[in-house]
Amino acid sequence: MSNVIHCEDVKKAYGRKAVLNGVFLDVPEGSVIGLLGKNGAGKTTLLKCVLGLLKTDSGKMTVFGEGSWDLSNKAKALIGYVPQGYRPYPWLQAGRLIEYTASFYPHWNAALVDRLVREWDLDLATRVEVLSEGEMQKLLIILALGHEPELLVFDEPVASLDPVARREFLKTILEVVSERKCTIFFSTHITSDLERVADTVAVLRSGKIDFCGGLDELKDEVKRIRVHCPTGALPPLVMEGLVNSYVRGQQAILTVRGYNEGRRQGLEKALGVKVDVEDLNLEEIFLEMSR
Amino acid sequence: MDINARLYFQINPTSGVPIYRQIYDQVKIGIAMGKFTAGEFLPSIRDVSKSLEVNPMTVSKAYSLLEKSGIIEFVRGQGMRIPAKAENITIPDMSQDRLILLIREVVNSARQLSLDQESVLTKLKNIWEEDHHV
Repeated sequence: MSNVIHCEDVKKAYGRKAVLNGVFLDVPEGSVIGLLGKNGAGKTTLLKCVLGLLKTDSGKMTVFGEGSWDLSNKAKALIGYVPQGYRPYPWLQAGRLIEYTASFYPHWNAALVDRLVREWDLDLATRVEVLSEGEMQKLLIILALGHEPELLVFDEPVASLDPVARREFLKTILEVVSERKCTIFFSTHITSDLERVADTVAVLRSGKIDFCGGLDELKDEVKRIRVHCPTGALPPLVMEGLVNSYVRGQQAILTVRGYNEGRRQGLEKALGVKVDVEDLNLEEIFLEMSR
Repeated sequence: MDINARLYFQINPTSGVPIYRQIYDQVKIGIAMGKFTAGEFLPSIRDVSKSLEVNPMTVSKAYSLLEKSGIIEFVRGQGMRIPAKAENITIPDMSQDRLILLIREVVNSARQLSLDQESVLTKLKNIWEEDHHV
């Protein structure tokens, strides 16, 4: 499988503030990849660099094999993008904005757009400037889907959507990925949505990709281990892949990466006690890794 | 017609257990407990993905693991079927698995509520006996 997006040692600073500090990332064709990171981690910057809306300081970045900064029209026609807080042409009616956007593309699926407008309950007669945040976001998502792109980039797509609209959005995304060839790259801090639709998670931290891999693999390999040692205080716990640890007397809570059954047995043998292993959901994993 | 896969599986996406494993376990347990019968077809990947609103790759992963372990069989052009010999899945094993899952949940909640082992066991015994008399 080829990579739709490829980043190699990408760096970007605003003045003296380094935001991306050596990003390596590959997004394979057909994957749904969620980009997680704290506020200010550089998620939007990374997305904008990928799309060539911001120029990187150094490193290599390609989309469909073309350099991000010099994307051809052909490549651009394959991309759909929903930015954050964007409100173009405030004087236009929503319906007019759809027509106007459609006119730029050689291919436009009007039937799909009509259906989404109906399903999402969007009033086409309303002027863009008076649409609510949520309605605006719905409109932008529809605009990004109209030309049936092969790469969809969403920056916090569900931030202002209500739970009903959020589910509709997820449904649409799943429909798109199961019906045609499409890669989806989105940033979010709502981990529960990501858990439903993403197959891959990338965590951006301190300007680097701290983790990138399958969501299932992440859940399988990051565990919380509880140790209770009734016979006395625990020895200092040193182990590979230790993310966090709290030790208090006879009790310890460890969060580890690279967990497997063998490591549990090893730990039990070394300490001479039974340990309990807890599964962590994505939010908990993200919190542990951000500590 | 769309098949509502919610009738087959109950998925909790925010659980620490990966979704593919939830589906895997539920098929296994479902067979052992007689929820699925031999010769029955599982809903298609597309239907499951659509009604549970989860990534189709996740469903496909669960199904292929089930197929690999011989729990279900792929029938060309028709989908995934519970094989005739499914009834042979060792039920004692399965109920053990299920029991461990449930107990683990109880233990975790009890810990969070800082209940001690003794009082949980007493409660368990009480409830067990109460239900037995009914």
